[in-house]
Amino acid sequence: MTVSDAMHPASAPVRRRLPSGLAAVTPALVLVAVVFVLPVLALLLRSVLEPQPGLQNYAAFFASTTYLKVLGNTFLVAATVTVATVLLGFPVAWFLAIAPGFWSRLLFAIVILSMWTNLLARTYAWMVLLQRTGIINRTLMDLGLIAEPLPLINNLVGVTIGMTYIMLPFMILPLHATIRSIDPSVFQAAALCGASRWQAFTRVMLPLTASGIAAGALMVFVMSLGYFITPALLGGTSNMMLAELIAQLVQSLLDWGLAGAAALILLTITLAIYLVQLRFFGFGQARS
Amino acid sequence: MLLDFSRLGAWRVALSLIALLVGAYLLLPILLIVALSFGSSQWLQFPPPGWTLRWYEELVDDPEWIASFLTSFQIAAVVTVLSVLIGLMASFGLTRGTFRGREALRALFLTPMILPVVVLAVALYAFFLRLHLNGTFVGFVLAHLVIALPFSIIAISNALERFDRDIETAAIVCGASPLEAKIRVTLPGIRLGLVSAAIFSFLASWDEVVIAIFMASPDLQTLPVRIFGTLRQDLSPVIAAVSTALIALTAALMALAALLRKDARS
Repeated sequence: MTVSDAMHPASAPVRRRLPSGLAAVTPALVLVAVVFVLPVLALLLRSVLEPQPGLQNYAAFFASTTYLKVLGNTFLVAATVTVATVLLGFPVAWFLAIAPGFWSRLLFAIVILSMWTNLLARTYAWMVLLQRTGIINRTLMDLGLIAEPLPLINNLVGVTIGMTYIMLPFMILPLHATIRSIDPSVFQAAALCGASRWQAFTRVMLPLTASGIAAGALMVFVMSLGYFITPALLGGTSNMMLAELIAQLVQSLLDWGLAGAAALILLTITLAIYLVQLRFFGFGQARS
Repeated sequence: MLLDFSRLGAWRVALSLIALLVGAYLLLPILLIVALSFGSSQWLQFPPPGWTLRWYEELVDDPEWIASFLTSFQIAAVVTVLSVLIGLMASFGLTRGTFRGREALRALFLTPMILPVVVLAVALYAFFLRLHLNGTFVGFVLAHLVIALPFSIIAISNALERFDRDIETAAIVCGASPLEAKIRVTLPGIRLGLVSAAIFSFLASWDEVVIAIFMASPDLQTLPVRIFGTLRQDLSPVIAAVSTALIALTAALMALAALLRKDARS
């Protein structure tokens, strides 16, 4: 019996004032219901009610090569960014977990600083770096590697570079936690059994970190799918992503029905991926 | 073997090299903005031909930049206070309540954090159009509160779960009223959770841009909306100056959070 068990009888009259805790969650519940659930449901409903009831907005979306291309762009960029963040993030997370104190602390601070630096400030930096007369193009031309500036901005290349930059911390941090949680003695066991470094990597390290990689990859993928700011500033008008399309349908075309349909498509994909994540990795991973 | 840095052999070189390159990839753009904000080139030449404070002067002398800075600060400040209060109540209910469906409710409260923000932005824009809340202070606060609340609930719930409830019970046994015990015993006990809830709530509102773009009016613009609008036109070095100010603010808040954590450990 713990102290708490022994004392609960004493606090019983106290807890009657707040019988179940429902009163305490009411303000939050009202806020989320009115300012989140209601508006989002209303938007989604417009997709089947405007201009007239029916599924014509969804039919229009999937019949249009323009919109399908937007969907394709969105998946292409999200997938490329995910692969890039895994390939770059894994070695960095590994380094962070085992490098001598000073270096890992320094790199860790850089990762955190980058993550918390204002998104617009970071996107601005990439606009400056990637533009036609920007530092990257000028350096490459000065070195004689290219004769003409490379088209690095206002296209999917720019979006992918900028988004990889922004998503990297979200891959590094969970992977770092996963690698740190590995018991080092499994590698001693592997060495005793005669495994080479490569074998230890492919047969021990990768399987032990697979769930961490998958969780990080799903998170980066799903965040990339709905990203708006970076594609809007680094991307071009001819190669939109889904979030930009939704914004444009509302702001310039005033087509609320189609915007609602696009929003529902984005939400469905997002929720489906989160459910996969919950199913396989539990709530804790999805939250962190 | 693979988790011992000194015994990685040739892998150590590869790992260190990639870490160096990624570290540079993450750090250099931030340093570049800081350098450009002090550079004298209007066309963002790098390295800058000379050094100047001109862009900061232009920034401080422009009443519109100052106004949007103040607007952002006021909205974020009100959002922070409300988010911590509502989040504190909700966290008490979620961690100590006995009603059914607490886990589902918790998931609902955290949903705004994971859904694509553009969907919420468009939905709120339509909703607030009817209520005439677009372009108003109240509209901004309500919208940002929904975004900030999950951070507050996570930080405070975690602190409450770690807090030993017996201490509060002991205070009540010793004659404190339940409310008194909560205010004088529990709140000080979870103060680190409250501070991080405040910091994260502030940053969630302060940095929020997608909803703000839809909701802003010419008369009421937050700082990120003004930056976004300016960036759509040109890459003025003034933006480098604003960005540097924002980076300094972030670094200061991060340092504060790190200090608090250190304080808590000792």
